[in-house]
Amino acid sequence: MKKDTIQQLLHDLTATAGLLLLTTILTFLLFFRVSDNPINIALFYIVGIITIARYTNGYFFGIFASVFGIILINCFFTYPYFNIDFSLPDYPFSFLCMLTLSLITSTTTSHMKRQTKALAAHEKQLLEAEKEKMRANLLRAISHDLRTPLTSILGASAAMDEHWNNYDNTEHQELIRHIHDDASWLLNMVENLLSVTHIQTEGSKLKTTPEIVDEVVAESVTRLKKRLPDSEIHVTLPTEILMIPMDAMLIEQVLINLMENALIHANTKHAVELIVEDQNEHVQFRIIDYGIGLNENYLDHIFDGTYSLAASSDVHKGFGIGLSICQSIITAHHGTITAKNHSAGAEFTFTLPKENNHE
Amino acid sequence: MNKFTILVIEDEKNISDFISKSLTYQGYRVCCAYTGKEALSLASSLCPDIFLLDLGLPDMDGMEIIKQIRSWSGRPIIVVSARTQEDDKVRALDAGADDYLTKPFGTSELMARIRASLRNSSRLHNDHGLPLHPYHAKDLKIDFFKRIITIQGEPVHLTPIEYKIVAFLAQNSGKVMTYSAVMNNVWGPYAESDNKILRVNMANIRRKLEINPAEPVYIFTEVGVGYRMADDEDNE
Repeated sequence: MKKDTIQQLLHDLTATAGLLLLTTILTFLLFFRVSDNPINIALFYIVGIITIARYTNGYFFGIFASVFGIILINCFFTYPYFNIDFSLPDYPFSFLCMLTLSLITSTTTSHMKRQTKALAAHEKQLLEAEKEKMRANLLRAISHDLRTPLTSILGASAAMDEHWNNYDNTEHQELIRHIHDDASWLLNMVENLLSVTHIQTEGSKLKTTPEIVDEVVAESVTRLKKRLPDSEIHVTLPTEILMIPMDAMLIEQVLINLMENALIHANTKHAVELIVEDQNEHVQFRIIDYGIGLNENYLDHIFDGTYSLAASSDVHKGFGIGLSICQSIITAHHGTITAKNHSAGAEFTFTLPKENNHE
Repeated sequence: MNKFTILVIEDEKNISDFISKSLTYQGYRVCCAYTGKEALSLASSLCPDIFLLDLGLPDMDGMEIIKQIRSWSGRPIIVVSARTQEDDKVRALDAGADDYLTKPFGTSELMARIRASLRNSSRLHNDHGLPLHPYHAKDLKIDFFKRIITIQGEPVHLTPIEYKIVAFLAQNSGKVMTYSAVMNNVWGPYAESDNKILRVNMANIRRKLEINPAEPVYIFTEVGVGYRMADDEDNE
């Protein structure tokens, strides 16, 4: 804070000195070279003083400039030249005029500055409120989504605890498998949420490092297969090795979310395809499934987190949130993400810029 | 058989329970410590063969525990940490930890890490750092004396640098090797701090070794940390 004030002071001081100097030089040229009409001198100084009052903070520099301006006029442009002589009778009037002018300008400027500040604060508040609303929506949707698997876990474990002897081995196994499935779904959801906090804590500036596309793709496929061992994913990578700046954890999350959508929600009939293509300015990732496709009516809103609510009731939990998280991640990377239907299913495409041009 | 003793340092009772149950079932002797102080006193009185350390303890910083243990013991330390804390993992490995596990982990993963760490530490104590027999995992074989790598009996042509990387990882198979560890070993102590060159080399290696580079089976990436080579199947 203190540093800021010193900096502001320095700025004001240089602005004042510079403008006064400029005014004096210009007046000099005019007065001694072009015409010695004394009216212009005062006008020049008035312009100079108003500019100073406008571009400096508070009243001090304006007043200082008007005092100094008078002295300069007195010294250079009134008879006797290059001599300070305060005995002239009209001197106090011109000084008063200049002072009043500078005061008025300073007041207006300060007022204007205060107003801009208030306006900015108000806008920030609005933005904060909007963010808060989004966060609340997300939290509501998540809590709703988290309750389902938790209920199932609690129910299954309680059932096993109470009726241990009533179940046979296969029933036990089935219950344990359900607990395991739901827990791993919860884990994925938590990881999604973590990635959101990752974006938010880093602010608008994402911490990206150059990553090899192969590695990121491999890691996400491996992680997904750990959870869904039966999934079939067909990956096509470009022949050359690509390195693009990104937050690897977040992009992995996007790939996992999109592939999971394709595998679980779309009921794909063939292997899901993940195609990475090198385009000149960016790298394109396409995730293609051969399933039920997307509801055309909601395509426009597919990434805003409401898709699963709007679409038919049998859509799997968590679908919408995953997609809206994908979009925020890709947007934070200055990429684009789109969704469309093809003849036999759906296709999600996202791009990432190759160079970090957004620093 | 002389049972290995494992000290589990973990403040969450549930997690500690599940770890010690599965380890006991596998034939290890398990002791549990719930705080850093307890861990240090148990460590010096028991002299365990391996340490399993959760970085987030209530009373002490995990790094501090690693440093204190490392001041008198060279036994393997496996660090348990949550995902997204890559910096912590690297710092722990640099401080002297041997390997890490990311929460949540399954029992099979835990067992594999413990086996790999025990094997590596016994190798360090018994011979001169070089494995006496070739590395073998799935279809991949590495003969360290002839410097030949084969997949399904077919020789694979690697550049000298690429071979050095693969050999180093294979000699430490099953264990995570940080980027800096690999860089120092392959390019020497004055290697650049930028690991780009290593990663480009690795991408090339993968294209030569892995049938499907998108689903590697021999060399795995530990994002933000380093690489891990598949366990040597001929060992023990």
